[in-house]
Amino acid sequence: MQRLAVDISNLSRSYREGNRSHPVIRNAEMQIQAGECVALLGRSGSGKSTLLNLIAGIDRPDSGEISIDGERITQLKEPALTLFRRRQIGFVYQFFNLIPTLTTRENIALPLELNNCSIATMPKKVAQMLEAVNLTERGDAYPDQLSGGEQQRVAIARALVHRPALVLADEPTGNLDQAAGENALDLMIALAREEQSSLLLVTHSLTVAQRADRILTLQQGQLSEQGAELAW
Amino acid sequence: MSRLLLISALRHLHRHPWQSWLSILGIALGVAVIVGVDLANQSARQAFLLSAESLTGKATHQIIGGPAGIPEDLYRELRIEQGLRQAAPIVEGLVKLGAENLQLIGVDPLAEENFRHLSGELAADAARRLFLEPASVLLSSITASRLGVAADDNLTVTIAGREVTLQVVDLLEGDNPAVLEGLLLADISTAQELLDSPGRLDRIDLILQPGQAERLADTLPPGLHLEVPASRTRVMMEMIDAFQINLAAMSLLAMLVGAFLIYNTMTFSVLRRRQLLATLRLLGVTRQALFRLLLLEAALMGLVGAGAGLVLGIFTAQYLVELVTRTINDLYFVLTVKQLIIQPVVLLKGFLVGVGVTLLAALAPAIEAAGTVPVSALRRSQLEQRVHRGLPWVGLLGIAALLLGWLLIAVSGNSLLAGFSGLFLIISGYSLLVPPGVALLSRLSNRTGKRRGLLVRFALRGIGANLSRTGLSIASLSVAVAATLGVSIMISSFRATVADWLAYTLRSDIYVSAVSSRASSSDATLLPETRQRIQALPEVAETSTGRRVTIQSRHGPVDLLVLDFASNTHEGFKFLEPPLADLWAGYQRGELLLTSEPYAYRHGLRTGDPIILDTLEGPLSLTIGGVFYDYGSDQGLIGLPASAYTRYWGDAAFATVGVILQPGVEPAAATSAIRQALEGFDQDLRIRSNREIRDYSIGIFDRTFAITQVLRLLAVGVAFIGVLSALMALQLERTREQAVLRATGFTPGQLSRLTLLQTSLMGLYAGLFSLPLGWLMSEVLIEVINRRAFGWSITTQLPVNAVFEALLLAVVAALLAGLYPAWRMSRVSPALALREE
Repeated sequence: MQRLAVDISNLSRSYREGNRSHPVIRNAEMQIQAGECVALLGRSGSGKSTLLNLIAGIDRPDSGEISIDGERITQLKEPALTLFRRRQIGFVYQFFNLIPTLTTRENIALPLELNNCSIATMPKKVAQMLEAVNLTERGDAYPDQLSGGEQQRVAIARALVHRPALVLADEPTGNLDQAAGENALDLMIALAREEQSSLLLVTHSLTVAQRADRILTLQQGQLSEQGAELAW
Repeated sequence: MSRLLLISALRHLHRHPWQSWLSILGIALGVAVIVGVDLANQSARQAFLLSAESLTGKATHQIIGGPAGIPEDLYRELRIEQGLRQAAPIVEGLVKLGAENLQLIGVDPLAEENFRHLSGELAADAARRLFLEPASVLLSSITASRLGVAADDNLTVTIAGREVTLQVVDLLEGDNPAVLEGLLLADISTAQELLDSPGRLDRIDLILQPGQAERLADTLPPGLHLEVPASRTRVMMEMIDAFQINLAAMSLLAMLVGAFLIYNTMTFSVLRRRQLLATLRLLGVTRQALFRLLLLEAALMGLVGAGAGLVLGIFTAQYLVELVTRTINDLYFVLTVKQLIIQPVVLLKGFLVGVGVTLLAALAPAIEAAGTVPVSALRRSQLEQRVHRGLPWVGLLGIAALLLGWLLIAVSGNSLLAGFSGLFLIISGYSLLVPPGVALLSRLSNRTGKRRGLLVRFALRGIGANLSRTGLSIASLSVAVAATLGVSIMISSFRATVADWLAYTLRSDIYVSAVSSRASSSDATLLPETRQRIQALPEVAETSTGRRVTIQSRHGPVDLLVLDFASNTHEGFKFLEPPLADLWAGYQRGELLLTSEPYAYRHGLRTGDPIILDTLEGPLSLTIGGVFYDYGSDQGLIGLPASAYTRYWGDAAFATVGVILQPGVEPAAATSAIRQALEGFDQDLRIRSNREIRDYSIGIFDRTFAITQVLRLLAVGVAFIGVLSALMALQLERTREQAVLRATGFTPGQLSRLTLLQTSLMGLYAGLFSLPLGWLMSEVLIEVINRRAFGWSITTQLPVNAVFEALLLAVVAALLAGLYPAWRMSRVSPALALREE
């Protein structure tokens, strides 16, 4: 039996608006196998980002359990959660979120250094990743010297360089033109497969979602696995 | 800590050089002021202690004379009849060389052997000449090289108004030449001749065995005292304590303003990096790591700033030591400090304060950074909402700090340190009230601004809408301006109080006084006939006499103000509380005395309390008839009528004659007549009109506060840098917002005007907020600090021009600080600015 990368059961989260409680996620259930690529499809405001934040451990559910790579992160305290995130999760965001004061090479090396990767192996891993995202020549450039597509490729390399169990990608093509977006998506899915990392791709684009192994939809807080056409 | 995080932090500092360097400059200035004042203070103390030590030598005890000194015969009696061979006579006096004071010490070279080695190895010829040749002296080698004087040169000086040519027979090296700075050494008979005090000694140094001291003290003639040299030095040190504590506190004020600057910079640094910090948290950087990173950045700036501050501080001290010495000379005792003594401990203290305050100021922003939520950072509007929601708490915290400060002052008795701590709490509390105040003011001005033009509306709304930044900038500018206003009100109130006191206390039209050559007090006296000669002049209606002498009391040495009244002299006294009913009759009978306010304050005395004085006839208990206002001495005075002083101390001499002129007589004409009448008298006189004395006294006052003014200016300098840094950060951080405005049709000129208008408005707000705090600070400085340090009552006067100056300072500082951002805004490419974000 294949190992579960993400196991979510009975997850709920609501926000207060004045005196009223507004449920965003209701009793969600979800499993992602190790190495699997899953797309989470939903309209704006459907709760996609909330679910992503809960899985990343940067938001707490009202009830339910989340396990990542066998670790019940809902039971972890903040410092342990941070260390868990550092080791097991990679992030790719719409607005790249690179560190402007670090070069391409340094941005990619950051998760390795945070995970105490040995100094001897670090340059090699970074070089491999630079080559994989086709940015070997741009290793010493700062983020503001890169195009949007190049910045997203750096973000992908940074998310995968330390081989996390799970990569969370929130609208990774949302800020790129079609060609650059497709390129980034191809690269991310291929690299995730190569590194044996699971990928949860949050998007509102059916075209992007269709690149995944599976599509989950989020509608009015309810998570379901059904035909994307039905959800859309 | 991650190497890459460190690199990232360093590059952040490097990418914002203006802010980084301005902060470093602010820290450096703060440290420079602290180190400068501390070095100057310590150098003055050290110079005094070393010179006291080298002049005291191995003496275990000293016989100190009263106003009339010690008769020379006593020295002979001690050596011959009492067999005290280890005794050395000393005569001390002042010699003026241009504007400089040199200390003339007369010693008996034969008795010196056991006490000190001031002269070192003298050439046999020099020793012989010192004994035999008139006006021959040894001059400190350091002073000689500074003045360009060599052995065998002549030195023309003024002693008690007389011009005298001294022969420098050799130079004084001693064991430590530095402590002999400003010293002239002469044979005792030469010194007596030069100081015109034949047969008189100022001190006899003794080396006594256990048990000898008690016996000797019992046999000393009345009016003479046996003291341990260290206690005498301590008393003199205590005289300048309050003055030096005040200077140190003023220097801390500059550092406090500097702390605001650092707090501002670090807060802006966190705010503008909130997205970056959120990303780092997302990548797994812990709260502690972010906290440490921010503190490390601050520590780095603190280290560089404090290091630079030490160098600047040493330069500042070179200048301040002159001001400190001048004030000590004007107010306390003669002191020559030409050399700065750089004590490593002072530098270390300044360095630690600089780095410590920087870290303390960075603590809150570092906590804020550590609390960054790892979701993509809060939107600006959410952040501002959070700030607005927190305003009531900030306000409450401010009120709590204000109350705590007030409470600390109220319950801390006479503690100067608690007074300053209370003052700093009040300043901190008030600064917390500023952001809620700005929010309120913005709401009000938004209402009135609706009818105004677009730019004004934008500028007004911008201040309220960006309270997380504007509140900080306005608060720090307010504190800085308030500090200058508070000190300004204090000084001008003090000056006005002293001027008023001089006007009513100086009842005579002309004052004729003897010129003193003594180092410790003005105990030169006039010939007895002087008064009669003056009184006989047709221009003169009445005369009074006065003298200040130092005697002993149960509370230690005290200055007596001995007056023989004219009919209006009593009008020159104003009392703190109603004096005893029969004050003047009792005073003239010698049953009641007067004490000045500082004396009563220092010793916890009130009207009706007894004071015991040591007279020639033994202890004398007199009752305080009234406590009068006096600003002439912060150590305090006791007022006695001349008749009582003569009766109990056997001394009828006087030092000053106050002359009241007949109606219509011009002081200038009367001065000529007095000079003529006193011609042929063998005494050195100074004749000054009431006006001249008032101007002279106010001159001393202004000189005393020169150093305060310098410190105030330095604090303003730090504040200006703070405002410049904060406003620049504020405006530069809003580049994107401005770019959106440019993209939607604002011209570069309009944007520049908007920036300048907004910074000017912030300056105006800061100016307005600084007024209550400035007033509050002046009240604490006047009612608490001055009172606890010196025991003076000061009438607060609100100088209208100081209020306008404060407003102008705030607006101009803000406007100047807005110039660069305004210029930059007008040139920024909207497309680039939008993309960069």
